[in-house]
Amino acid sequence: MIEPFTDVVPSFFGMLNQGPLTLTIFLHTIIILPMFWIYKQEKAKLQDK
Amino acid sequence: MLTSIKTNSLTNEGQKLGMMYFRVAIVLFGAQLLMGLIAAIQFIVPGFLFEVFDFSVARMVHINALVVWMLYAMIGSVYLMLTDETEHNIVAIGLGKLAFWVLTAAVAIVVLVYIFIQVGSGSESTIWFINEGREYLEAPRWADIGIVVVVLIFYWNVFATYMKGKKTGIMTVMVANLMALAGLYLAGMFFTDNISMDQYWWWWVIHLWVEATWEVFVGTLAAYALIKIIDAKREIVEMWLWIEVLMLFGSGILGLGHHYFWIGTPEYWWEIGALFSALEPVPLIAMFVHVLYDWGKEQGINGTKPAIKNGPAMAWLVTNAFGNFLGAGIWGFFHTLPQVNIYTHGSQFTAAHGHLAFFGAYATILIGMMYYGIQRSYGVERMKATFKSKMAIFLITFGVLGMAVALTIAGYEQVLVERAELGATWNAFFTAQNLPWYIQAQIWRTIMGVVTFVGFIYLVWDLVTIGKEAQKEEA
Amino acid sequence: MANENLSVWTSIPFWRRSAAWVTGFASILLIWLTFDTMRQISMGTDNDLKNGVTKRVPAPTVINYHIDYKMSQKRGHEVPVIGKKEPFFGKEWSPKEAKELLHLGKLTSQAKNCMNCHTLLGNGAYYAPDLTKAWLDPAWQKGGAMQAMTGKNTTEEAMAEFLQHPSKYPTHARMMPNLGITEKEAKGLVAFLKHMSSIDTNGFPRNFSKTVDQFKAGGTNAH
Repeated sequence: MIEPFTDVVPSFFGMLNQGPLTLTIFLHTIIILPMFWIYKQEKAKLQDK
Repeated sequence: MLTSIKTNSLTNEGQKLGMMYFRVAIVLFGAQLLMGLIAAIQFIVPGFLFEVFDFSVARMVHINALVVWMLYAMIGSVYLMLTDETEHNIVAIGLGKLAFWVLTAAVAIVVLVYIFIQVGSGSESTIWFINEGREYLEAPRWADIGIVVVVLIFYWNVFATYMKGKKTGIMTVMVANLMALAGLYLAGMFFTDNISMDQYWWWWVIHLWVEATWEVFVGTLAAYALIKIIDAKREIVEMWLWIEVLMLFGSGILGLGHHYFWIGTPEYWWEIGALFSALEPVPLIAMFVHVLYDWGKEQGINGTKPAIKNGPAMAWLVTNAFGNFLGAGIWGFFHTLPQVNIYTHGSQFTAAHGHLAFFGAYATILIGMMYYGIQRSYGVERMKATFKSKMAIFLITFGVLGMAVALTIAGYEQVLVERAELGATWNAFFTAQNLPWYIQAQIWRTIMGVVTFVGFIYLVWDLVTIGKEAQKEEA
Repeated sequence: MANENLSVWTSIPFWRRSAAWVTGFASILLIWLTFDTMRQISMGTDNDLKNGVTKRVPAPTVINYHIDYKMSQKRGHEVPVIGKKEPFFGKEWSPKEAKELLHLGKLTSQAKNCMNCHTLLGNGAYYAPDLTKAWLDPAWQKGGAMQAMTGKNTTEEAMAEFLQHPSKYPTHARMMPNLGITEKEAKGLVAFLKHMSSIDTNGFPRNFSKTVDQFKAGGTNAH
């Protein structure tokens, strides 16, 4: 499943690019994940009111 | 529109300045269409104006007039809404007016040089004084610097007025977004021998404008227009605006990767570009739903009385909501995946998408803002669409859609024969260009271009007359 | 009041904060990616070429080498292959000379507005052929139509001749206009084109240079 590295120059992103959609899933996740924390904080704020 | 500034209804200087920007915008829009017609004819009659006014010149003025008229209409829209939103007079209106004249003079000189001097020798002085030769950013370096100065004055007016006045959600997004929009222009102002590096930064300007900051700008305008035209509730409109910002920037910023598939940049951009840009249509659906939802809701609350205060503006706003999704969203998604794009990159497909997206996403809403500006100028309570308004929106929309469909067909022909079948050489290119169905598609594109132009004439006629007519009717 | 507006999904502060976070963080990721890409696409050096180090964008002295575009099993698409040395306009160019020539060529490509008819790396206008791999186009090689038409014996000389007098050598009804390109500028442009053909474009354009003859004969290359 993990393909050998084929691009010209090795790099962090190139490495992540070796698995099935791993690079894009990684980027989407770190962008979206903190929104859960923002959600929880806002929820607490609303309930406090 | 001609007497819009002299009427006594416009008491705010910012709004007068906005109308001045709109006037130049509509003239440049006309220039864009004329140049487009010349270029379209050159596709089917290759000898047309050969070595007099070549395709490269017509096309350069075509796309530059496009960008500049849109920037003019965008600045005009901001001046129109600034005092409304902030409830504060514009801080440096005199400077703003000076900037307008400086910018207009600079644009006129640049266009005259494009048309009459066209090309220069292979030296730095050409880049500085004639043209920079980079698609969309052809403006010579002196004009680049001038544009930066003028935009700084404009931005200062927006920023300082915002800081002194009321800080609505709409204006907060506007101020932040405009800073990014203006700052990005700097990424296109340097020269390098490395064509990959050149195009890498070139796309920072082009993509992060039209697929990120301009889209957010449209969201902001739509929010303001919905409040003004159908009395939409600010709370709901602003909530949607923040959701749109989240989704537009969330997908659009890294969606930049879909321009980095083939310009020498690493392979990892395939995955980033494909999956982020594939999400770019999502906020456009959201915007469409949002406009229709608000429209339906306000109509319901009002009961028998129509909710719409400005018929033509609302019509263009709804066309924007749908056109943005169709042109930018669907036509963009067609060829955004690298598996498809390796064949479609740089073909008539791109041209089809470009036409429908620039029209659907930007031209529509900016025309809508012009109608709104006219309503304000003549102090009309309710402005109904005239026969001319209806002809204008129908012919322009039908014309552009027709061009996009024709170019899509040409794109299929080109992609299958030149790219897939023959492998993109000089001969492969011309073999595809000479296919009967390809030529037929180019003829249809030209016909549809003429239809668009007739619609444009109706549009100008309507813009010039509708205000006075509505005023008479109301009195 | 307790139940009213308790949903976070309709709360403006939630969406505002989320929008700020997503925008800010996506921008940071883009800047990080940009640093990584800059490192990979900055031009190589003459020594890289001498030592056979593959760069995405080679040094200007790549004009002294034979360039080919071949299927790579490892990469899964065509890649430029830099081969043995060959003379360019009859000589070997020093790193300084090559750099100056490429500089002139790139400047000329902008000054003559190439991009508003042609595409470079697939970007530009669609009125004239894509120039990404123009240097490798069979029409310009030995035995190709353009060498015969211009009466020149090498790819670079044929290209330079054509660029100076394009309307003298029409290949189709749609012609390239005379742009006043001088002999020096033409050499620069050819160097720019040769350099561009050596850039690793991840396999764009695919299947470059199947022949028109094959197409006309009904060949599909499928067997």
